[in-house]
Amino acid sequence: MTLLADKDERFKNLFGKAALFVLLAAIGIGATLLWTGIKKGAFTAKSPIYFVADSGQGLSEGMPVKYSGFKIGKLNTLTLDEHGQVQVEVGVESKYLKLLREDAVISLTKEGVIGDGVLELSRGTEAKAVLAAGGVVRFERANGLEQAVIEVKNRILPILDDLHQTLHDPQSDVRQTLKNLREFSVEMRGTRERLDHVLGNMDANLNNEMGPLLRSLRVSATNAETLSAKLDHDLPPLLKRADDSMENLRITSQAVKDAVQKTVPQMPGMLGEARETMGKTREVLGDSQEMMDSLSTHWPFKNNVPVSDNTPIKMDSHD
Amino acid sequence: MTKAILFILLGMLASCGSTPPRLPQAMEQAQVADKEARRALRSGDLLRAQHDFAKTLQLQQSFDDLAGAATTIINLATVAHQLHDDEGALIWLDKVLLENAEIYPEESRLAANFRKAVITANLGRLPEAEASLAEAIKMCDKKCSLHFGIDGLQARLLLLKGDSQGAITLALTVSKEAEAGQDEQANALRTVATAEEKLSRYAEALQHYKSTLEIDKVLSLGIRIAEDLSGMARVSKQLGRDQEAIAYSRRAKLANESLRQNNIP
Repeated sequence: MTLLADKDERFKNLFGKAALFVLLAAIGIGATLLWTGIKKGAFTAKSPIYFVADSGQGLSEGMPVKYSGFKIGKLNTLTLDEHGQVQVEVGVESKYLKLLREDAVISLTKEGVIGDGVLELSRGTEAKAVLAAGGVVRFERANGLEQAVIEVKNRILPILDDLHQTLHDPQSDVRQTLKNLREFSVEMRGTRERLDHVLGNMDANLNNEMGPLLRSLRVSATNAETLSAKLDHDLPPLLKRADDSMENLRITSQAVKDAVQKTVPQMPGMLGEARETMGKTREVLGDSQEMMDSLSTHWPFKNNVPVSDNTPIKMDSHD
Repeated sequence: MTKAILFILLGMLASCGSTPPRLPQAMEQAQVADKEARRALRSGDLLRAQHDFAKTLQLQQSFDDLAGAATTIINLATVAHQLHDDEGALIWLDKVLLENAEIYPEESRLAANFRKAVITANLGRLPEAEASLAEAIKMCDKKCSLHFGIDGLQARLLLLKGDSQGAITLALTVSKEAEAGQDEQANALRTVATAEEKLSRYAEALQHYKSTLEIDKVLSLGIRIAEDLSGMARVSKQLGRDQEAIAYSRRAKLANESLRQNNIP
């Protein structure tokens, strides 16, 4: 028996329709889960590799493992062994295992300066054998920001200690320099006072002496003006006379030039004659000299010619 | 016979007239330069003489005439001394004296030592003068031509050192030697007179100054005449003959002025 008359056409086969809807929904959910699993690598074959860390600091399960910037696996487990060391297992996609060699190194680094921690795998030496699944790699911590800060701190602190000691040592150069500077500044103050005094005196002297000097200059300028006026009056006649003299000079020079021009054509001949006469005179003198030299060595003249003196010129005990 | 004698005479005359062989050119030039230098010196042109002697020296050195070069170096020193460049003169003399290889003749080294002694004595550098004179005495050995000059200088050095009596004794010996020559005799007498003046024997000093003046006048040595007259003026004053002293002093002044105005060395 039915409670309600199932007379509406839309309610016909209602059970079948609901069952179809549920089935489609289940298929959709399943497909979504499958797709997500594929994307997450749940269905990718993975191979475990191991490393030992001195501490678990910075390491966490699920931490990505990267190779050349690509994620190729993740940190699976962290366990503390009986020696207090941390045994770590990472799962690496099996297809990438062939890229790694036996001496591959896994480093804990940061993504960026302050980013999340990442395990970065390096390839290792090319000549070595390919890393097998379950192999062990060496672990190291890359110098992150903390490490850099620690290093800087380790370097800065001794310097600061030294500086502190230097500044507090009364015999240190810095303290001595500061002391000298203080003394110098005190002396400078005294010097400045004396300079002020000198400048004050100079100012007073200038006021006392510059006034008469300026008055004297004014008088001199007036005199110069008077002299200039006088020159203006007297100079034109003088210049006129100078012009006349220059004209006379020009006429005289013209006359001399004419005379020279008349004489010049005769000059080469005269010079030639003079040169010839001098040459002959020189020859005659040379001949005479030779003759005299010759005669002076012969009798009877040689007795009257002083003998060539090869002794030092005279100098007595009282010179 | 007459023809033969005439022929022989002509032959002799021709041989007399033959030209003697000429010297090499450099040697002839050196002789000419030396003659020119000596002529310039006689005429009082000391700078010209210096130039010509320097030229002579270069030529003599070019043909390795060491004796001639030594003489010319000594001449250059003497000219420098006459130009009142005594340091220059000593440098020239040292070129002969400090030559390690002793290439210059001993006679030249003797002359250089003597002249160095004279110049250093004039400069008042008595130890140097004595050292140079000692070297000269060692080389001279009482036989050389500078013997009397050396004795005269030795007497002068004794006087400069204060040994007036020793100076008189030695200088008197030189003054009596005719071979010493008039100039060295006059020098010796002047030394005697100066020493006597120092010993306050003014009358004797005046007599010796007068004798010296006579010789210096014969030799026309202006500067020494002035020196003698000055000495005579000093001792005359000491003898109380003031008028004579004034006259001698005036004559000395005139002689000195004339020397200075005419630039006579």
